[in-house]
Amino acid sequence: MNPSLYQMVSIGGEGDIVAARRAVREAAQAVGFGLTDTTRIVTAASELARNICKYAGAGVMHVRHVERDDRAGLELDFVDKGPGIEDLEKAMEEGFSTSGGLGLGLPGSKRLMDEMDVRSTAGRGTTVSVRKWLRS
Amino acid sequence: MPSNITVVKVRGVLMVTMPADPDDSTIGELQDKALESMEQHGASALVLDITAVDTVDSFFARTISETAQMVGLMGGRTVVAGMQPAVAITATQLGLTFRLVETALSVDRALDIVSEKGERGRAP
Repeated sequence: MNPSLYQMVSIGGEGDIVAARRAVREAAQAVGFGLTDTTRIVTAASELARNICKYAGAGVMHVRHVERDDRAGLELDFVDKGPGIEDLEKAMEEGFSTSGGLGLGLPGSKRLMDEMDVRSTAGRGTTVSVRKWLRS
Repeated sequence: MPSNITVVKVRGVLMVTMPADPDDSTIGELQDKALESMEQHGASALVLDITAVDTVDSFFARTISETAQMVGLMGGRTVVAGMQPAVAITATQLGLTFRLVETALSVDRALDIVSEKGERGRAP
């Protein structure tokens, strides 16, 4: 795979959230997103990277340029081997948090992106994938 | 540890300028330093300049709201100045509320607001 189209950032602590944001900003600009969409994508990445720190302690973010039906886009996968999400439906609710946070991370990030898939198994970990497509 | 936050006092008002992409420890430092300086300088207001900031996530927003609440308990006002349009759009869609925080288009306008004794504009 062309290395410029794929990047991995390991997230081991809160200091890595800035690194994750920078990698995503560069990738979003490379795909051709404008300032507002780039800001949306970077902010969603910040929320999801922080979730990894808060709930799993460590994990990785994969950044990929993707294409579908001649449209270019950016996909971000946040993968951890943490405790998993006990109640996925609740976790997607606005204002629900098990950590004393604002409970905006998952539902807010979903609004900022075009697509979100969450796969989680209790005790095994969580993968959150988000995608944003360039408007043609 | 080198400090990323500079607090300047201008005519009874504390001015804090945030860097473009602050990490969590810088954001935490903002709160500590702002409160310390409020007491030290006997300031009446805190103006938080986020003109350069290109990402505001829920952690940053919560810290700003908390700081504003603490400054309020100490008898001061907090005005957040210079939010970029893309940041404002994103913050709204994310669902950030900025409770207890007054806002201004620019630092200049923020200083106008805190020097007016009467009217208090507030973030919705």
